[in-house]
Amino acid sequence: MNEPSPPGPLDRYVRQMRYSPIGEEGQRRLLDSRVLICGCGALGSVLANTLARAGVGHLRIVDRDFLELNNLQRQVLYDEQDVEAGIPKAIAAQNRLRRINSQIEIEAFVADVAPANIAGLLEGVDLLLDGTDNFETRFLLNDASLKFRIPWVYGGCVGAEGQTMTILPGETPCLRCLLQDAPPPGSTATCDSAGIVAPIINVIASFQACEALKILAGHREAISRTLNLIEMWDNRLKQINLDGLLAAGGCPGCRGEEYPWLDGQRGSQTAVLCGRNSVQLSFPGRESLSLEMLARQLEGVGRVTSNRYLLRLAVDDYLLTVFPDGRAIIGGTEDVAEARSLYARYIGN
Amino acid sequence: MTILVQIPPVLRYECGGARELAVAAATVRAALLQLKRDYPDLYRNVCDETGAVRRHVNLFVNNSFLYQRDGLDTELVSGDVLHIMPAVSGG
Repeated sequence: MNEPSPPGPLDRYVRQMRYSPIGEEGQRRLLDSRVLICGCGALGSVLANTLARAGVGHLRIVDRDFLELNNLQRQVLYDEQDVEAGIPKAIAAQNRLRRINSQIEIEAFVADVAPANIAGLLEGVDLLLDGTDNFETRFLLNDASLKFRIPWVYGGCVGAEGQTMTILPGETPCLRCLLQDAPPPGSTATCDSAGIVAPIINVIASFQACEALKILAGHREAISRTLNLIEMWDNRLKQINLDGLLAAGGCPGCRGEEYPWLDGQRGSQTAVLCGRNSVQLSFPGRESLSLEMLARQLEGVGRVTSNRYLLRLAVDDYLLTVFPDGRAIIGGTEDVAEARSLYARYIGN
Repeated sequence: MTILVQIPPVLRYECGGARELAVAAATVRAALLQLKRDYPDLYRNVCDETGAVRRHVNLFVNNSFLYQRDGLDTELVSGDVLHIMPAVSGG
């Protein structure tokens, strides 16, 4: 009796290849593709999981955070053992993804995405996916996408609502065409202040992942050309027409005139306050924030005290002191990436 | 004429938890001014001190951005829906 032949390299993707827009040719393109996933928290977990199983041949994952127990409610790549081991998300993701698909290449970087390293991270990359939790990084990704002509897919979620939009440089409007500026610090709700339910993450990230499959498999004609908004708790889905936004002139980034987040002119400036176990973050050029509104957002997050000059949030082992111009001193760490992560989580930027 | 202003979840605290507000207004600008009178905290989240829409907020009528119409002077008819869309940052 003959032994069954070993599985071929494409066998595991047979159901996906049977879907005619992908087929064998599309699958081979996926295997030849390289994707950078920026942030591997909630959105990033779903993105990485989906693309690894789909056979995207080279995944590069970058994340600055370590795992916490409260991540497990929605960050589907991780488990209790990962939390107990105290390992960075990027490494835990790489370990898990290698067990899911050993045939693809998975690179992991424990790093804060910044103007200094984004070009290197994007080297050889066909597509950039947004798994971040803040607009400072997203505007940096947007600048890099425009400058290096690499498509990216924006996704954002809070509470039970989410937004997503696909950006093809020079062909569709970009994030900066949509939002003239990054929200001022403290002006948007975060998952730590307003909460988050897992289904909206899965929906938005799955939408992003499907856009990725279309782009990588060579079906740009199928890409969404709308801004997609979903409010799951209220059963509202909206698709907003973006026609004409780019034709109206586009933003300075689309016109190739300037990339201020990539050039380091925008975004946060950081300084470790020696001997104080603190990091200072400031945001030159940004609008001021309302301490009163921020205090309301942070109710229940930790102990909040405020006056007209500053707001203090004591949470876990940290003390965040925030000023009306958005500047903050993050007490309890001298790690800049950790301080930026705490700012994004509690203040929002 | 009466139009509906849809309030995103993150701003509902500023208007007593309402999902939408019925507003009598003939233009987007008039609708915003009514919000300013009735829900000043909500208005402050949408417009700055000069009355301009904040740069991280978008407004659209039905499924069109204001830039595709006449900006704040966009005329409204009964049954129109004005959506307020602040940027969503988490993930």
